[in-house]
Amino acid sequence: METAELKEKLKVQIIQFLNLTDLTPADIKDDEPLFGDGLGLDSIDSLELIVLLKREYGINIQDPKEGRKVLVDVNTMAEYIKANGQK
Amino acid sequence: MNRIVVTGMGVISAIGHSVQENHAALVSGKTGIIKGGGNFPSRYAGLLPFGEVLINTDELKIKLNVTQPGVTRTTLLALHAFNEAIADAGLTVDELSAHDTALVGATTVGGMCLTDELYANTHGDTENIEYVKSFDYASVNLFIQNRYNITGVVNTMNTACSSSANAIMYGCRLIKTGLASRVIVGGADSLAKFTVNGFNALRILSDEACTPFDQNRKGLNLGEGAAFLVLEKESDAAGKKIYAQVSGYGNANDAYHPSSLSPEGDGPYLAMKSALDSAGLKPADIDFINAHGTGTENNDEVESRAMLNLFGTLPNFASTKGFTGHTLGAASAIEAVYSVLNIDRQELYPNLNFSQPIADIGLQPVLDHRPAAITHVMSNSFGFGGNCTSLVFSKP
Amino acid sequence: MMFYIHKAACISPQQTFGDIDIEQLHLSVDNKLYAIEPKYPHFNGNALRRMSKSTRMGSGAALPLLADEAKPDGIIIGTQVSGMEENGKFLNQIIEYNEDMLTPGSFVQGTPNTISSQIALINNNKNYNLTHVHRGLAFENAVIDAAMLINENPGHTYLLGGVDEISANNYTLDTLGGWFKKEACQNDELYNSTTNGSLSGEGATMFTVSGSKTGALAKLTAITTIHSTDTVIVRERIKSFISQNLPNGEKIDLLLSGENGDARTLPFYLACETLLDNQVPVARFKHMCGEYPTASSFALWLASNFLGNGLNVPQHMLKKQGDFNGVKNILIYNTHKMGQHSCVLVSLVE
Repeated sequence: METAELKEKLKVQIIQFLNLTDLTPADIKDDEPLFGDGLGLDSIDSLELIVLLKREYGINIQDPKEGRKVLVDVNTMAEYIKANGQK
Repeated sequence: MNRIVVTGMGVISAIGHSVQENHAALVSGKTGIIKGGGNFPSRYAGLLPFGEVLINTDELKIKLNVTQPGVTRTTLLALHAFNEAIADAGLTVDELSAHDTALVGATTVGGMCLTDELYANTHGDTENIEYVKSFDYASVNLFIQNRYNITGVVNTMNTACSSSANAIMYGCRLIKTGLASRVIVGGADSLAKFTVNGFNALRILSDEACTPFDQNRKGLNLGEGAAFLVLEKESDAAGKKIYAQVSGYGNANDAYHPSSLSPEGDGPYLAMKSALDSAGLKPADIDFINAHGTGTENNDEVESRAMLNLFGTLPNFASTKGFTGHTLGAASAIEAVYSVLNIDRQELYPNLNFSQPIADIGLQPVLDHRPAAITHVMSNSFGFGGNCTSLVFSKP
Repeated sequence: MMFYIHKAACISPQQTFGDIDIEQLHLSVDNKLYAIEPKYPHFNGNALRRMSKSTRMGSGAALPLLADEAKPDGIIIGTQVSGMEENGKFLNQIIEYNEDMLTPGSFVQGTPNTISSQIALINNNKNYNLTHVHRGLAFENAVIDAAMLINENPGHTYLLGGVDEISANNYTLDTLGGWFKKEACQNDELYNSTTNGSLSGEGATMFTVSGSKTGALAKLTAITTIHSTDTVIVRERIKSFISQNLPNGEKIDLLLSGENGDARTLPFYLACETLLDNQVPVARFKHMCGEYPTASSFALWLASNFLGNGLNVPQHMLKKQGDFNGVKNILIYNTHKMGQHSCVLVSLVE
């Protein structure tokens, strides 16, 4: 899958998984921080996103701290999936 | 002022099926937390440690002479502890059914322990419906109420891990306002796929025995059990064994996050502070704190900070979660029994598995069983949703 | 023990939130009365997306009551199993993913104390906070809690609420348990039904209550709970409740009956009616809100508005026209699943 295509798919999945009903994929910039000032996600969301990576891409992240490095923005997530994805 | 006193106790937990057995384990420092070898039917049974009550549900039914259908493990654990408590306080059949006897129980699992059965019933199984009337939280206390024909106030509360502390507080207030003369208060929870998977999804279960207040703690262990206490007005308790007095309680909300405590522990601080105020005590009056001490990164650090803020120099403190695991809706009631034992036996019990204080905090809990002069004990319980409650028990 | 009701807000299957219009009856759909949810404002503290339906409705109903500068001195909620929809999602995940890698969101949202704790978050309220879950008496126990607190602290104000939601799981389980009708039944025909079971309902009702009389909508004069499946015992208990709590020379002017179209519970409601004089009007409310464990909170909202807000009792509620001669005392009698009963006496503030 092309990276651009993967990022678009990821945005749709993030919105669906986290029930971000007031957002559309176009609202999420590739480099917009997922946590803190950007999308304003929190620790429970980060655990949800780790499950998203497992269910959709077969990626196992055991340590939530490791997850924080992957879950910076859509760019970092896409890079990680490219490098480690099983599906 | 008519004081509220504890005249009876019952407990069932991973470290014993009676107050006596629990006491023996506390004294000898023998944990009830096991990894594998129990009856809990979960894929995590051999992978994660649990504080399991080692008696299976069918055996419990036979032991308690429960023959009717639809009775859950949570209810059976509750009944076991309830029976011991009322026998200990010598409550008669007439007293139990009197209009001024109240039952206030807590649970966070209730009938939700029946994950597989409920799934079948909500996905087409309309034949095996033994449990459909007991899926809720109230089913536990409604069963006990029917069994003993309790006609006074009966209530069930669920404020997550502080549930049974609130049941104890509520019972005291029923007596103070005259809505009851005696109350049987406590809580029960059974190990359930529901809670095990919930806490696991939050990544706060340790794959080793929990190490409360230790620098290298990895999370909590879930446990199961139940405890009930009989509370009466001192003037009604003449001639009875009086274990302790319930002298204070405080309830506050942390108002910070659905499943984590605020960094400075506002909720815990306020709960402890208002418990002291309601008891008319100063921080220095407290001889021992039975801490919430779950062994999670968040709780133990925040609880430490809140205790330091309130007490300055801490009295002796320990978490008993290393013995029983975190029994959720039963935890505060079980720990209330242990706090009362601290007073009644004039001794302290160890905080198991501790080796290194938390960096920047440097607090060390009680590490051995030893005699101690104990007048006032504080017991802390902090739950999801920021629900924090502290209780104070005092020498009668 | 009593208190005054100052503000009341209700999200229900009828037009009770915002501009109130209960004259026109909103109809049930597939034996269910779903709440009419307003467009919710932006909530502080946590986003709407993290809320179960119960939490959303509860927070939404609480919001107009939290507009004052002063925060309530406590938040007290009664609910049987709110968050059951989220709870159900989580239980389903456990089985469907065989306990592997589950998402925690539904677990956190599925616990019943989420309503009171979410309101605490929105209001940044660190005061007393308690959730009562005693099935059909969850709201009544919350009322008793509030009454005790006000008795202890007469100057304090508390937020008191009753909330439950229709979820796929509890609807299925309670239908299997025999509590909801198996045949199709519309709510405007509910009381003509002669079969077992009722219609499923939901709602969130919030009150601010205190010991202060000034500006109050209504006075909650007394409450009692009864545990029995015997109509004779229940009738006796209602009778003594009325005689103990009704001031000398006054009478019950309106009965708000929790009659729900279930043939098994009808004898209890009829027994209650026989205690009142012949000319006392009898009004029913379950065709409006459906049957749910904290439906008595909906009745208390109605009573408060009849007494203090000039709201008229619509024709569709009246079982017995009776003699409307200035309503001063309203008796609410309700039973849930027959074993749990409650009586609430609500009075005009004079």
